[in-house]
Amino acid sequence: MSILNEISENLQKGKAKVVKELVEKAVSDGIAATDILNEGLIAGMNVVGEKFKNNEVYVPEVLIAARAMNMGSQVLKPLLVAQGVKATGKVCIGTVQGDLHDIGKNLVKMMMEGKGLEVIDLGTDVSPETYVNTAIEQGCQVICCSALLTTTMGVMADVVKAAEAAGIRDKVKIMIGGAPVTDDYRAQIGADAYTSDAASAADMAIKLCAGV
Amino acid sequence: MTNRERAINILHYQPVDRFPAVHFGYWPELLLEWAEQGKISAELARSWGDGNAADRELDRIIGWDFNWLNTVGPRLGLSPEFEYKVLQEFPDGSRRTLNGAGLIQREKPGRNSIPSEDDYLLKDREAFETLYKPKMQYFPERVDIEYFKSFNDTRPKDIPVGLHLGSVLGDIRSMVSVIGMSYLIYDEDEELFADIVDCYAEMQYKCAEAVLATGARFDFAHFWEDICFKNGPLVSPEIFESLCAKHYKKRCDLCHRYGIDVISLDCDGVTEKLLPIWFENGVNTMFPIEIGVWGDQFEPARAKYGRGMLGVGGMDKTAFRRDKAAVDAEIERLKRLSAQGGFIPCPDHRLMPGSKFELVQHYAEEIKKIR
Repeated sequence: MSILNEISENLQKGKAKVVKELVEKAVSDGIAATDILNEGLIAGMNVVGEKFKNNEVYVPEVLIAARAMNMGSQVLKPLLVAQGVKATGKVCIGTVQGDLHDIGKNLVKMMMEGKGLEVIDLGTDVSPETYVNTAIEQGCQVICCSALLTTTMGVMADVVKAAEAAGIRDKVKIMIGGAPVTDDYRAQIGADAYTSDAASAADMAIKLCAGV
Repeated sequence: MTNRERAINILHYQPVDRFPAVHFGYWPELLLEWAEQGKISAELARSWGDGNAADRELDRIIGWDFNWLNTVGPRLGLSPEFEYKVLQEFPDGSRRTLNGAGLIQREKPGRNSIPSEDDYLLKDREAFETLYKPKMQYFPERVDIEYFKSFNDTRPKDIPVGLHLGSVLGDIRSMVSVIGMSYLIYDEDEELFADIVDCYAEMQYKCAEAVLATGARFDFAHFWEDICFKNGPLVSPEIFESLCAKHYKKRCDLCHRYGIDVISLDCDGVTEKLLPIWFENGVNTMFPIEIGVWGDQFEPARAKYGRGMLGVGGMDKTAFRRDKAAVDAEIERLKRLSAQGGFIPCPDHRLMPGSKFELVQHYAEEIKKIR
């Protein structure tokens, strides 16, 4: 088995320390950082994401894989920066104003990072203006809004309106998700995409960043 | 018939004079909304709590028979709890706090939301042995023996009352967060998480045993878990079974020995994948069956498990935000479901803001017409 396959396999099992050691070894063996990232870490997270979508693995397995991904990425980050390697897209993500629950948001963030996206985490209780201003200032292609509560999901409509008012609606896509959110609701408020799980959200963000 | 007799009869497939109009409480924002609309008093909105005087007064105003959430129990949690501490305050008013379960969370005063889970104390065996294990022990003061000895005489007579059996995994998740639970399950110390679950479960079993030994008798017993979300369980069913099944069985067997044959479990989210584990180990009643927000369903479980699977809940509460036609459609669906027996319709969780007062009154009135 190649070392890149080993990285992928161990990442899928959540073996964070092993992944870190293997990434360090791959770097010292002279393998390009982009290959380690794409064929090792991201390949592994892609498998986890597909299994998660199919209910073959559950939240804990995703979380430990993401932790392993993060440890491997930390080794690669300075090398990728030095080489001027750019992320495949830029997303800002947060839990909407009034809502402090962030498990789903964090899962989506991890899956998006696992796809090689740069994710700006705005945290929880995020106002519509913060989403929009961040997207403008940071050049995000996608705004991603999460809500747990039926009482707070209405803020997602305000994010769409704020993006329209700021004149960026044709430049930035808006994704929504969370427990009470549905595709009907997406259509109702005029957002661009709804996904039902974290792995699908990451896939959708990749598509939206690529302009598909 | 009393409402207690109605509930017991329905859950045992016996005839009733009519169905009871049962609910599962309200989100506080809804009551404030109704107070602003002049439907109820502000005092009633502020003072409401499950089963208290304001709850009963609201029952009278709306036309409900009772709030299903009527359980009593021993002190089943960590004892003593951790002392609540504000660890850090931020310019936006939010605070990082340590709660009674040892979870470090981010709260914001004025925000009525589940807090953000930031960190946790129970990270390794040393923390378990020194900080948690002593708080998870059984001791006699956990059970108010005198209260339970007189319970049969002092309990409410008109409504069913359940014995709270605690939680096998949900409480532990509340101590360590979803992330912490995930890491602990896959910790290098492979026995650690199972040891935590076993230790906590043993304490809760002894508590239930001590209550039942007093002679107190209950109409049902009840677990709380909240271990599922929109897409299914928060842990794999295989892991859940290996960690938890034996503890459900032990507590359910205990209940059976004392004549309790209705054992319910409250789990938010889509529960389908965990149902076989609960059902095969003694739980037989789904509550509250969240069809509206999560899409959970009672019908498939009934089709799979037959009359052995009972239910309380399953009314899509989001209909109260729509119109009379939506509520009437729900009532018709629930009538068909109720005709099977072993099922009591109830809004599928707290009624949420935007629910129309008159529609809730209409529902309560119509449900009582089911025979």
